[in-house]
Amino acid sequence: MPEPSDSGPDLPVRPFAAGGFLKFIADTVSVFELNFLPALKLWYVTILLAAAFPLPWFYVTRAIAPDDPQVLRRLLTGTLVFGVAFSIGTIVGQTFVGQRFSGTLRLLITMPVSKGAYFLGSLAHASISGALTVPILLAFALVAGVDINLEWGLAPALLLTVLAVSGLTLFVVSFAPSMQAGNLLTGVLSLILAALSPVYFTMDQAPLLMKLIGYISPLRYAADAIEKSLSGRADVWAEMAVLSAIAFVALSLGLWRMPWREK
Amino acid sequence: MLAAAIEVRNLNKRYRNGTWANRDITLTVERGELLAILGPNGAGKTTLVRQITTELVPSSGEVRVFGLDAVSRPNEAKALMGVIPQETNFYWGLSVRHHLRILGKLRGLPAKTASRRAAELISDLGLDEHKDKPAEQLSGGLRRRLLVGIAVLADPALLVLDEPSVGLDPESRRDLWDLLRDYRRRGATVLLTTHSMEEAEALSDRVGIIHDGALLALDTIANLRAAHGFDFKISYLAGGRTQVLYGASDTELLQQVQSLGVREYAVSRTTLEDVYLGLTNGQGRLNERPTTDA
Repeated sequence: MPEPSDSGPDLPVRPFAAGGFLKFIADTVSVFELNFLPALKLWYVTILLAAAFPLPWFYVTRAIAPDDPQVLRRLLTGTLVFGVAFSIGTIVGQTFVGQRFSGTLRLLITMPVSKGAYFLGSLAHASISGALTVPILLAFALVAGVDINLEWGLAPALLLTVLAVSGLTLFVVSFAPSMQAGNLLTGVLSLILAALSPVYFTMDQAPLLMKLIGYISPLRYAADAIEKSLSGRADVWAEMAVLSAIAFVALSLGLWRMPWREK
Repeated sequence: MLAAAIEVRNLNKRYRNGTWANRDITLTVERGELLAILGPNGAGKTTLVRQITTELVPSSGEVRVFGLDAVSRPNEAKALMGVIPQETNFYWGLSVRHHLRILGKLRGLPAKTASRRAAELISDLGLDEHKDKPAEQLSGGLRRRLLVGIAVLADPALLVLDEPSVGLDPESRRDLWDLLRDYRRRGATVLLTTHSMEEAEALSDRVGIIHDGALLALDTIANLRAAHGFDFKISYLAGGRTQVLYGASDTELLQQVQSLGVREYAVSRTTLEDVYLGLTNGQGRLNERPTTDA
């Protein structure tokens, strides 16, 4: 492969760092910045989004559920998974669909940036609201009298949930022929995934349809791992393994289908 | 020997619906040259540019940028060029300054250099009073200026511009031309697509004419005119239609129209537009062009 060489004293043909791990990290941070700086002006919307859905939903379920510590922990688990998955799915879908169909994506495709850095930077921004949901909801649950005994599995389970949901969303919205269709698909996918997965109760208690979905839904494994982590249990390896596998497959599919260089 | 800035060999692009957008295109853009690609809407200009900028994967053929295989090593090729896409949009709510600074980092500039370069470009492009405005609030001319700024952030040795002056008022267009000329004086190579004969004549060293996905001609404007075969033309109205006669000399043409009894006519030298129309009207080679009908 011939290496590029100088064209003249003023404008040398210099290949700036086009690859490498450090460039990848720097690009991820820059893509995050591109999304985050404008959103800073709307910080209150991010906080509202983090709290507006999960808090009332937890409050309602708490009011109608029996006063059993285990049931309350599962309600908290369900609301956490539902809230994070719904918020990630919606924001990731809208971000990628919006940037693709509005033409913003072309600004980046013509830059020496990898698809992975674009994805991770955008995902990091999309995760802010979901990440805020967790401490807000945990604090609210403690005040509401839920007995929480936190173990290490909570953070990795949530991280894997974010990766799995964003991969699935990316895969599904890649089929959208327009921005409107993409936003509709995003909403439907987030709702179906979050509402039909057994997250508020265990697989044993779930009706048949939910059981079937539960076998393949990342949210079921996330809910099982998080419930154990909130109960002070660290035996979440099995759930983590399945969740990791689903996240890997979902991300691979999503990144494979994500429009970047057109064929 | 130094590799050319752009080498395209036997490039073909066929879309999934069966449309051939580019057919067997071969061209070379030498270092320091400005090549304008002319063609009507849908001729395949943007497809050609998007394959060079690596946005679009060719069906077959080769694209090299300063000797690098742009098809298999797109990121390295993109690091060597600045691009102004035909249709793009800015990050909603992000200021002009932040666009330049962050996209500078994505181009590979260290953070401090990117900030300094953003400040320089804001001043050079006359964007000082707009630097903190969200980019989407800029007028068409200012948006183009910002796109030029983004393209030249890392002082690339190659600029690829897809119809850069579309939608610009005459003043903004002249400003853009001055910027491109200035950039060329510093040794940059420029590839641009355009509809505008005036733009091609004002800026380019050579012109490529593309039609129906194929490159019909590629030469200097002087050579293209010479290949047209006629130095003069005379236009007149007959039967409600503009008729054009081509000839080697103006006196020969005057005799012809006078023998036809035409009283009102205009004599001029053949232009790039005549060459362009001759090629894109489907008559094939220039010298086979009939001597009537513009």
